[in-house]
Amino acid sequence: MADLLVWLIWFLAVFACLGSGVAVISFENPFYSAIALIGNLASLAVLYLLLNAEFVAAAQVLVYAGAVMVMFLFVIAYLGKRADAPWAGGPSIQTLAAAVAAGAILVEVIAVIGLASGDRLSDEASVGAAFGSPAEIGAVFLTDHLLAFEITSIVLLAAAVGGVILGSEPKAPPPEPEAPSGVQGTGEKT
Amino acid sequence: MNEPWWIDIPKALIVVNVVMAAFAYTTWLERKVLGRMQLRYGPNRAGVFGLLQPIADLIKLIRKESFFPGTSVSALYITAPLISAATAMAAFAVIPWGPGWAIGSYDISGVIADVPISLLLLFALGSLGIYGFIVGGWASDSKYSLLGSMRTCAQLVSYEVSLALSVLGVVIMAGSLSLTEIVAKQEDGWWYAGPQLVGLLVFFVAGVAETNRAPFDLPEAEQELVAGYHTEYSGMRWGLFQTAEYINMITLSALCVTLFFGGWDGPVGDEFGPLWFLLKVFLFVVLFIWMRASLPRLRYDQLMNFGWKVLLPVATINAVATAALVIAL
Repeated sequence: MADLLVWLIWFLAVFACLGSGVAVISFENPFYSAIALIGNLASLAVLYLLLNAEFVAAAQVLVYAGAVMVMFLFVIAYLGKRADAPWAGGPSIQTLAAAVAAGAILVEVIAVIGLASGDRLSDEASVGAAFGSPAEIGAVFLTDHLLAFEITSIVLLAAAVGGVILGSEPKAPPPEPEAPSGVQGTGEKT
Repeated sequence: MNEPWWIDIPKALIVVNVVMAAFAYTTWLERKVLGRMQLRYGPNRAGVFGLLQPIADLIKLIRKESFFPGTSVSALYITAPLISAATAMAAFAVIPWGPGWAIGSYDISGVIADVPISLLLLFALGSLGIYGFIVGGWASDSKYSLLGSMRTCAQLVSYEVSLALSVLGVVIMAGSLSLTEIVAKQEDGWWYAGPQLVGLLVFFVAGVAETNRAPFDLPEAEQELVAGYHTEYSGMRWGLFQTAEYINMITLSALCVTLFFGGWDGPVGDEFGPLWFLLKVFLFVVLFIWMRASLPRLRYDQLMNFGWKVLLPVATINAVATAALVIAL
């Protein structure tokens, strides 16, 4: 019974994931594409949940499906409805090449996973109770993967500083004495 | 822990109904308290003290003709209020009501879903709830709605950061992301409102902004934006947005009580945990209403400056200082 339920959820999540992935690149309206991407990220989170990685699933929803995608929608909604037909004009050489490259990557991934894990794929994984808990993840981050963790945080910090520099305007000529209305531009400040 | 598997169903039913009733009577309380503070009576026609007013409002909203703008995107327009209301209600699944009870041979826990990362889950649900506002505003295809939803979005994203950082102190002190454990820790020792006073203040201010309540109700500034993201909504669809907003306010009060005021912990009687919990939540809801009656709305640039330049640094320093103190002591 429980196994059947897990299978059912896995099936739904996988097809939602693939379907929304195709939808992201097929919609003409970028707003719909962004919503499909949210669906894609959320169904990935369900797959993480099935793998006992609750923390990763929650972080995925919080950071990617939540904060990052809000920014996408924000920008798209500001720019207005600009249709962009992705399939117009039939397949070009570029589309075909992209499809071939994607297929090649898929084959590579399957081959690597198959070679690396051998026949362990068919066995049930033994997962401890602490697996995927915040404490465990924190411990691994700060011991085995400390260097990668720190490098990532420095890269992110540099990106944030870069964003501030790109977003800030050069020193403007003396500001106007008093803005007549209290409401000011919304875009730059966020 | 030998809970029967079916216990989640009655638990969920009870919690959903209590939350919906709390929502209905928060609207009544708000109108009544606001009225008295403005030397009016507030609703007093439907039932004694106007107590049947929320029911009358519900019937009115459901029976209203539901029309929408011809140019709106109907699928998204219809889904948006559902997303908001559903995520708002789902949040209560992880908020603990009591320490648990032994009934017959069963041990019943005081929370629907006791997950080890419940705090994170709450924030994740909150960040999904934003989509209801932004998608609803966009799908209405109206300038006011779009501007309102942009404002909501900018405000929520800005204050979410401070909100998450402000609870970090509590998480460090309790050493857990589970709300049940956080309350249990407070039961043994101090309520975290004392040692985490700065965190509490940041949490409360950011929380008021997060729920779009006065004085941070810019997304609905009627002088500039008509009604913000729900300008084009009417009937029960509008009602669902209101539901989401009020339930978010109740959830925030509940979270504040859970994190800083000991949750179900009261002076006497662990069995009466839910009563203590509800009493504390009620006090916070009254505080929310009181603030709406007494504080004028912020200007948009003040809002952004305050969020990024005051609240965020204070929250960060609080988190770092707490971490240092916890390690040192």
